[in-house]
Amino acid sequence: MKKDLSIDFLGVHCENPFFLSSSPVCNNAEQIAKAFDAGWAGIFYKTVGIEGMNECSPRFDVLSDDPSSWSGFKNMEQISEMSLEQNVEEIKKLKENYPNKVLGISIMGSTEEEWRTLAKAVTEAGADLIELNFSCPQMTSHDMGSDVGQNPQLVSDYTRAVVESTHVPVIAKMTPNVAEMSDTAIAAANSGAKSVSAINTIKSITNIDIDNMTGKPVVNGKSSVSGYSGNAAKPIALRFITELAQCEDLKDVELSGIGGIETWQDALEFMLLGCRNVQVTTSVMQYGYRIVEDLISGLSHFMEERGVDHLDEIVGKAVNNIIPSEELDRSFMIIPKVDEDKCVGCARCYISCYDGSHQAIEWDNKTRTPKILEDKCVGCHLCINVCPVTDCITPGDIVFKDGQSNSRSEKEIAQQLVYL
Amino acid sequence: MDRNQTLVYEPVEIEAFDFRRAMEEASRCLLCEDAPCSTACPSDTDPEKFIRSIRFKNVNGAAETIRESNILGASCALICPQEKLCEQACNRCGIDEPIQIGKLQQFAMEYERKLDKTYLSKTDTYIDKHVACIGAGPASLACAAELAKEGVEVTIFDENEKPGGMLRYEIPPYRLPDVVIEQDIRQLEKLGVKFELNHKVTIDEKEQMKNEYDAVFVGAGTWEAKKIDIPGINLEGVVNALDFLEQAKVSNGKSPSLGRVVIVGGGDVGMDCASTCKHLGADSIYDVFMETLKDAPATEKEKVESFKIGVPLISEFKPVEIIGDEKVEKVKFEHITNGSTMEMVADTVIMAVGQKTRQDAQYWNQRSDIFTGGDMVNGGDTVVQAVKEGKEAATKIINTTFKN
Ligand SMILES: Cc1cc2nc3c(=O)[nH]c(=O)nc-3n(C[C@H](O)[C@H](O)[C@H](O)COP(=O)(O)O)c2cc1C
Ligand code: SF4
Ligand code: SF4
Ligand code: SF4
Repeated sequence: MKKDLSIDFLGVHCENPFFLSSSPVCNNAEQIAKAFDAGWAGIFYKTVGIEGMNECSPRFDVLSDDPSSWSGFKNMEQISEMSLEQNVEEIKKLKENYPNKVLGISIMGSTEEEWRTLAKAVTEAGADLIELNFSCPQMTSHDMGSDVGQNPQLVSDYTRAVVESTHVPVIAKMTPNVAEMSDTAIAAANSGAKSVSAINTIKSITNIDIDNMTGKPVVNGKSSVSGYSGNAAKPIALRFITELAQCEDLKDVELSGIGGIETWQDALEFMLLGCRNVQVTTSVMQYGYRIVEDLISGLSHFMEERGVDHLDEIVGKAVNNIIPSEELDRSFMIIPKVDEDKCVGCARCYISCYDGSHQAIEWDNKTRTPKILEDKCVGCHLCINVCPVTDCITPGDIVFKDGQSNSRSEKEIAQQLVYL
Repeated sequence: MDRNQTLVYEPVEIEAFDFRRAMEEASRCLLCEDAPCSTACPSDTDPEKFIRSIRFKNVNGAAETIRESNILGASCALICPQEKLCEQACNRCGIDEPIQIGKLQQFAMEYERKLDKTYLSKTDTYIDKHVACIGAGPASLACAAELAKEGVEVTIFDENEKPGGMLRYEIPPYRLPDVVIEQDIRQLEKLGVKFELNHKVTIDEKEQMKNEYDAVFVGAGTWEAKKIDIPGINLEGVVNALDFLEQAKVSNGKSPSLGRVVIVGGGDVGMDCASTCKHLGADSIYDVFMETLKDAPATEKEKVESFKIGVPLISEFKPVEIIGDEKVEKVKFEHITNGSTMEMVADTVIMAVGQKTRQDAQYWNQRSDIFTGGDMVNGGDTVVQAVKEGKEAATKIINTTFKN
C-alpha cells in the first residue's frame, strides 16, 4: 500500500518526510543515487568544509546486548573528507540526475568568511536547503562544531553570515550537549534560520578497554570523548524536540527531528512532537538504505488505519500532552492483576517488587505463583515491565487515593495503557 | 501454563508467536543481501523482505508482502516443508539454527486474520475478461487470484462442497485448521472471485466453457492413489491413504474403530496417516517403508513428530503380501537387501505409497487451448509449487490470450 506521504518542509515539496542525515550515509553522488532510488525523499549531504578532514582509524564503537542490533553507536568522525571543490562537483551531479529529490547541504566553517564562501558555493551547486552544522562534538578545531553550538552569539553571527549569502532556506543543526536548547535555537531563528534540526550526537565514552586502559575504539593506545547516536539517543532527542516545539519564541520555526530513528514508529513519534521532516543515520549505517521501505510502508498503513489522509493532520499532535510533572494527575493508582493461566512461575515480578519497589507481591513457593497485595501496591508497574510473558500482568483496578477523583472514567484511564 | 501437549484432532488454531517472540526471532535474521531464503521459495513469498518488515515493526507490511506473492500465504506458513526450502537455504545455518521462517510467516498471517485486514486490491486492466478455473485447489486458487488482481472476472468450479482441494480434504486439521483455509479463501472472495461448488465439470462442459470464457484453466489435482500389485491388496481393511485422510476429515475425526494399524509409506502422507490414527485412537500403529530412515521422503519435522507421538518407524522393508480371507489379518514384509522377513498383525492397512497423475490429466496437459498447473501437471508436489504454477499459468493466460 502506498499513501500520499508528501509534506512541505520550508516551502520545499518533499515526496515523504524521510531524509538521510549528514554523515557517511551521504558522502558522494554515486552512493546517494542508490539512496534516492531506494525511496529517500532527500538528504543532508555530509558536512562540507573548506578543506577535507584527516580522520583516525578505527573510528566507531558499539553498545549492544545482542550483536544483531546496536542500541548505541559512537563515532569519532569529523566532517567531509573531500574538499569544497570536490563536493561541489558531486552536488551538481545529483542536482542534474535527481531534480525531484531534495538536496539539503550541510556546511561548517570556522570564520564568518568561510561560512559565506561555503554557503555561496553550495547554493550555486544546486542546494535546495542549507543546514548549518553547529553540533559535531569531535572537531579538532574549537572554532568549529558543538563548541560553536553552545554559544548563542557565534550561532547568531554565523547564521546571519549564511542567510545573507544564500536565497535558500537555512536550517540550524543543534547540539544536545547543552542544558537547554532553546537559547541557541532562538539565536539562530532571530538571525534568519527558518528551521532547527536536532539532535546531533551526544558527547560520550561508550566503553573502556580494560586491557589498554583507554576508551573504545582504541587508536594507537588512546581514545577520545566523541559523539553517541542510534536508538539509545532517541529519548534525549525527543526531549529536546519537545522543548523546541513548546517554545513560544520558536513558533514559526519548522522542526527536523534526528536521533535513533529505525522504524516508522520512531519517525512518527518525532512528527507527533512537531517535526515536519525526519533524518536518519545510524540505522542506515547498520541496515542500509532499504530501511526506508518499511518507513514508507509502515507509515502508510498507520495512516490508512487511522483515517489520516495527509501528514499535516498529525504533525504536532502530541506536543500539548507533554506537561510539567507538577501538573500530572496524581489522584489514582492502577493496581496490576496477574493472569495465572499465562504465568510461567519465574518470580521476576516478585524479585523486582521486593528489591526495587514496595514489597507488594507475595510469592507462594509451593505453587510458584505471585499474589499482588492491594494494600501495599502503589501501582508503579515495575512488575508489568519485568514480566517476560506477554499480557500476563496487566493493568487492573483503578483505585482513587482517599476520596479523590478525576473527570475521566476508570475505563478511560485504563484504556490509555498499552504494554507490548 | 500446561507443559504437556494434548492431542486435538481439530484445534481451532495453532499456537503462533506473540509480538515479543516474533521480534526475538526476527532479530536473529541476518537481513541478508540477495537472500537465499527468498530465492528458495517457489512462489516468491520473499521471506527476507517480510522478516525485515517484522524486524522494523511493520507487521502490516510483512503480511502485505506475503499476500501479494502468495494467495495461500496463511496455509503455506503452516504446511510448507520449510526445512527443504527457505529454512534450508538460510544463511543463519552457518551460525546456529535457521530462522523459523514458517513461524514468522504464521505470525504475520495471524495478524491479518485477527484484525480482518485486506491487503490485495484490484486494478481494472482486464475488467472485461472472464476466466473459468476448474478445481478449487492450490494451483487454481493461485491462478484465479493473480487474474482477479488484474480485474478479470474469475469463476472457480469444484465438485466438492468446500473450496481448497487437498488443503481441505487431505491435510489433517491439526496441521492446517479450517479457519486458516477460510482465511486464504476469503482473500479470493474479497477480490471478487466466484465459487461454483458441488459442480463437477464434465468433458463436454469444458469444451463448451472454452467458448463462453476468454480462457479456461484446469488444475484438478491428482486424486488418484498409486497401487502396488501384491497378493491381498484388495482385502477388506486395506485402504489408500488419501481416502483414509479424507474420510477422517469429513467425519471430524470420528471414524469407526481402526484396531491395529500398519501404514506403508515413508512420505509426509504416511506420517500424516500415522498421527491421524493416533488422534483417532488406534490400538497400535506402525509405519513401515522401503527407504532408509534418512532417505524416507517425509520432512525431518514430521519424522520427529512421529517419534514423539510414539509411532515406530520401520525402515527398509517392503510389503510382499497381505494375508487374510476377506478381511486383512497380517501384512508380510521383506527386507530390501538382507532377506529378513516380518509379519505384522493388522486390522487396518493404510497404503501411502504415492499418488499418480489422474487419467485425464495427460489429455488436458497436451491441449494448447487449455491452461493447466499444479499436481495434475507435476504429478504431486508441494502446495507452494502449485501456487507458483498457478501464477505462471495466469501470466501465460494474460500474455497469450488477453494481449492478442
Ligand atoms: C559516523 C557519523 C558521522 C556523522 N557525521 C556528521 C556530519 O558530518 N555532520 C553532521 O551534521 N552530523 C553528523 N553526524 C550526526 C548525524 O547526522 C545525526 O545527527 C546523529 O547521528 C543522530 O542520528 P542517528 O541516531 O539517526 O544516527 C554523524 C553521525 C555519525 C554516526
Ligand atoms: S514475572 Fe510474570 S511469569 Fe514470572 S512469576 Fe511474575 S507473573 Fe508469573
Ligand atoms: S505495581 Fe509496583 S508495587 Fe504494585 S505489585 Fe507491581 S511492582 Fe509491586
Ligand atoms: S537467509 Fe536466513 S538470515 Fe538471511 S535473510 Fe533469509 S531468513 Fe534471514
